[in-house]
This record gives sequence, C-alpha cells and structure tokens, in this order.
Amino acid sequence: MTALLTPRAVRWRVGTVSELVQETPEAVTIVLDVPDWPGHVAGQHVDIRLTAPDGYQAQRSYSIASGPEEGRLALTVERIEDGEVSPYLAGVLQEGDELELRGPIGAHFSWRVEDGGPLLLVGGGSGIVPLMSMLRHRAAHGGDVDTRLLVSARRRGDLLYAPELEALAGPGLAIHRTLTRERPDGWDGFDRRVDAAMLEYVGPPPAERPRVFVCGPTGFVEQVADALVELGHEPGAIHAERFGPTG
Amino acid sequence: MSEPRDPVGMLDDRAVWLDGNAMAGLLAEVFGIELTAVVRTCGSCGTAAAVGAHRAYVSAGVVLRCPGCGDVAIRIARLPDRDVLQVRGEWSVELPRD
Repeated sequence: MTALLTPRAVRWRVGTVSELVQETPEAVTIVLDVPDWPGHVAGQHVDIRLTAPDGYQAQRSYSIASGPEEGRLALTVERIEDGEVSPYLAGVLQEGDELELRGPIGAHFSWRVEDGGPLLLVGGGSGIVPLMSMLRHRAAHGGDVDTRLLVSARRRGDLLYAPELEALAGPGLAIHRTLTRERPDGWDGFDRRVDAAMLEYVGPPPAERPRVFVCGPTGFVEQVADALVELGHEPGAIHAERFGPTG
Repeated sequence: MSEPRDPVGMLDDRAVWLDGNAMAGLLAEVFGIELTAVVRTCGSCGTAAAVGAHRAYVSAGVVLRCPGCGDVAIRIARLPDRDVLQVRGEWSVELPRD
C-alpha cells in the first residue's frame, strides 16, 4: 500500500488512441499510447477530460481494463445514450485522436496478487472493467488465488470479454453470469438480479474473509453490498465503485 | 438523465453520492498525493474507513462524509484563485521516504 502513496502530483497527460476494439454494440475498448505512463495497479481508474472549442470542459472517470503487466493502457467505455462524454468516446473517437487524461488514481479500489485472497468480484454491466484488470493481473502471475467472478448484464450480447473469460476460467477461477432481461436458449447461467442466495452460491463464504470488489451502477452496487452484509461479510472488506448518475 | 431533485443530497442520498474513490483525481490535485487508501477515523462515531470508502457529495464543491454516520470528513471548495479545505476527524497518513 505504501507505494501507492508515493507523493507524485497527478498531472494531466495527452494520450493518443492507438487502437479501438468494438466489444459489444454499446461498448468499445480504447487503447492509448501515453508517453511516460507511470504504470497502474489493477482496479485503478483515470479521469478523462474533454474540452469543447468554446472552452467548456467535461470530465469523467473510467476504469482501466488492461492488466498492469501489459505495457499498454486500455479503457472500456460503454455508451450512455444521454451522457455527455461516453457518446463521444464510444462513437466519435477514432484511432490517432488525442485524449487528455490523468492517473492512474483510486488506490482504494485496487488489488495486487501479493494482497492475497480469496477474491469475490461482482460486476454489473461495464462494472466488470476494473475487475477484468484484476483477472488479467492475476493470470499474469500464474493465477492461483481462489477467485469467484459474478457478472450481471441485461442480455447475453452485453457481456464483455466473453471469449477471454472463457479461456481464463479454470481451477481457482469460477465465473458466474446472470442476465436480467432475457434468457436465451441453452443459457446455463442465472437469469435474475443479483441477490443474497446467488452470492451465497457463488461464495466464498464470509468465514473465509474474502476481499470483495463490487463495481457497477449505483443501484446495483447498493443491492449487492446490502446482500453481502446480510450474508455476514465484513462491511470494511467490501470495496465499492459506483458509476453515479452521469455518463 | 434527470436532475437530482435535491442537489445537496440530503433527502435521497442514493441519487447523488459517489464513492470517495471517485474523488482520487481531485484529492491528488489538491494534496499532491493519492489519498483514497488513507484511513480516517470519524470524530463523531469512531468509524475507521479508507477515504475511498467515504461518501462523496458533489455540487458546487465536494464534501466527503463518514460512511458510518454521515459526519463531514472534508469540504473542498474550488475558487478561481485558490482551494478552500475544511478537514475534520483523525487522518492517518503514511508517506514513504525513498
């Protein structure tokens, strides 16, 4: 933890978009080339600042999707239709464009392999993004920390990183999915909102004192955090990251 | 996107507060260090919680409140020429010397 507190003014930098990957119809991964990027810890985010020609600025936080070992900075942004920033990032932005950003920041919602486990990661919608960084970090180090991932999405087509998660799953990493708006033919996951019974099934039980990371829309995080406390998880062990009302 | 009916956030707090972790950039700008992992003990209820686990109310300025009782932890007002800070409770900050 101490290394995360190293005094270092977090300054605004300019990154260049080196690659865009359409993950789902609504979500795009933005790979950035950032000179002097200091590296990040899985779970951290960056602030992105857009400036209009008249000087008006809008700023939002986006989780880092790439693992710290990848040597690149990738963000996955889901378009919020009436949002102010995300429609630009996931729709207008093109390779070669420049973006103003600062970070990495947000040490409270971060995990390193040496922090240990077991781990319970719960993501709603694009709330899986910082959790994906943790899974990529875990995999880069051999990945034997007992980890349970629970992902909630509206529809199957909204599930992010599906092929990569398929490849990562195995001994030590259990992946559970739930869909809240449809139940496709042959679907073998859950088909309801996350509740206490689902979390109890996914585990690990509170007695194992898992480190818990929950990320998603505010209502989702509230519901999951309440259910976890109801099950007996220590409130202080639950790290939460809410998107808030804007996009 | 609808406007919060209570912009100060005291009536329906679910609508308007964020995690202190989301204020990492602002805190780093004001203090020069990453503060979200720092533990603050509330002077009112005694809850010890990371700054990142506090509740951030954002309007004209930012107010971080204790996740246990809602007591104010810090107020940050950004004026054109200066930042005005009011800090409360016990903050335990460890800074490594390289």
